[in-house]
Amino acid sequence: MTISRREFLPVAGAALLSGVAGFQGGRRRSAKPAGSSAVAVVKAASYSNDLVNRMLAGIRECKLDVRGMKVLLKPNLVEFDPATCINTNVAVIAAALEAFQTLGAAEVRIGEGPGHRRDTYALAEMARYRSEIPKFDSLFVDLNRDDVSPVQGFADRGEIYLPNTALRADLIVSLAKMKTHHWAGATLSMKNYFGLVPGAVYGWPKNELHHVGIDRSIVELSRIFRRSFAIVDGIIGMEGNGPIQGTPKPVGVLVMGSDLPSVDATCCRIMGIDPSRVEYLKMASDRLGITEDARIEQRGERIQSVRTNFNLIPQFHQIRLA
Amino acid sequence: MALHGHPEADRAWTLLKSWQMANGAWRPSGDVQIAGWGTALCVTLATVRGEFGGPLEQGVKWLLESAGVESNFINRAAARVGLLNAERDLSLKGWPWKPGTSSWVEPTAHTLVALQRTASKAPKGTSADELKERVRMGEAQLLDVRCADGGWNYGSRAALGVDLPSYPETTALALIGLQGHPDLAHSIELAARMARETPSAMAAAWLAIALRVHGAEPPAPSGDVSPDVLVTAVEALGAPAGNYAFLKAGGAA
Repeated sequence: MTISRREFLPVAGAALLSGVAGFQGGRRRSAKPAGSSAVAVVKAASYSNDLVNRMLAGIRECKLDVRGMKVLLKPNLVEFDPATCINTNVAVIAAALEAFQTLGAAEVRIGEGPGHRRDTYALAEMARYRSEIPKFDSLFVDLNRDDVSPVQGFADRGEIYLPNTALRADLIVSLAKMKTHHWAGATLSMKNYFGLVPGAVYGWPKNELHHVGIDRSIVELSRIFRRSFAIVDGIIGMEGNGPIQGTPKPVGVLVMGSDLPSVDATCCRIMGIDPSRVEYLKMASDRLGITEDARIEQRGERIQSVRTNFNLIPQFHQIRLA
Repeated sequence: MALHGHPEADRAWTLLKSWQMANGAWRPSGDVQIAGWGTALCVTLATVRGEFGGPLEQGVKWLLESAGVESNFINRAAARVGLLNAERDLSLKGWPWKPGTSSWVEPTAHTLVALQRTASKAPKGTSADELKERVRMGEAQLLDVRCADGGWNYGSRAALGVDLPSYPETTALALIGLQGHPDLAHSIELAARMARETPSAMAAAWLAIALRVHGAEPPAPSGDVSPDVLVTAVEALGAPAGNYAFLKAGGAA
């Protein structure tokens, strides 16, 4: 009998435990967040709804002030397959662009470093970003090939090189897609930051992050980019064998907030996933943000009114929310 | 490489030489202190320029000492005794994007070209047999991860038991790395189809090079101008009068 890599993880993972313990108790431990976090859940039945006003309402619920800021919108642009919905929908990006300009940001740019495909502009063309976002080429930065600077402290690697466009932004908006993920359980606003890691240094895919550990890398990147806001495109998500080969799952929501673990925990509950069983959210909980239901101030729609269980691959049946 | 023979290329080579590290590897840019996958391209470029001195030898030596780290010890042991389906042969070693990570199609393909171009100029302390064996294993690694459709994804043929689709750009690169290997007819046929159908200018440019080095004629380019200078460079390399022959495996030394 053979077992898959995932089934083998509980056995093989023993070697990683000391490293994870090091992260949890190490010098980079963040201050424990106090109080509560606001997360807005806004209904949007389709991409042709008035997304700008819905987004503005959600952002205002979260009391985000972006006046004078340099804002970087970070969509999830990974791969293109016309049969499914891998990427953040172009309508969500266009709406975010207009919303942050309306709110008085000094500059709004779009940046992404796709982890699979080398030709970022072709991918942006296929995903209709270039044709439907005015002046896309002048607003867009391919983070895979941006100038980089070292950032000290990334898991056990000592340092990581990250794109200057992201490091110099006053605020990064994680425009993630609500999807299942065959290695991490779910990919949401935190996992979306894999696209901030430059391919020119780390390759396609960014295999360094897999060797560090996917969950640990998700948490480390979210720790480095704390000046963040999340808008998760859950209008149509992806279930099953995500993040590439899954199937579309209409949910009809945008989920927003400044506390990325809170946003992702809320998304998980909407997807019928128990966030306390998602490894990276367990690691981030109380170190980077709040994930307990009782401490998240839910604004807008109630979770129960929009919850729709996402199909999970067998390897992740154990994370189903009761 | 696309501009070889122009004064601009000489200036660029001077800059590139300043990025070579003490261990022989090249950094991806002046700001980054990581040995990287670009080493293979710099070695190939050195052969194009006929610079067979110390920097090239050190680069080749670094490439020969570099190899992908396939999973971890426990998984490798489990795969060896049949307890783990790793979906690739973990005993085969290609080349990684950076040291300490796994083998992937693109760095492996570029390294195979570089090593084969230096085959008759093995660096001091390295035997031609060692070089040949490393090339043989790199080729075997690439063939091991060929997708069910005959092309290549970026380095895996399946994930969790589900076949992955091949990508046009990595299919092109794998074919460039596997020049001279038998059993590629189906893959070349697929590459020709991809060249006709891909919406990616970069993929089309790499496919043109792959088809030309395998003796096939690619379709005429679209004529669109890409906003990406890298795409323009690869297109120039793969043009009928371009320098694609520099990527022919046995084309130097």
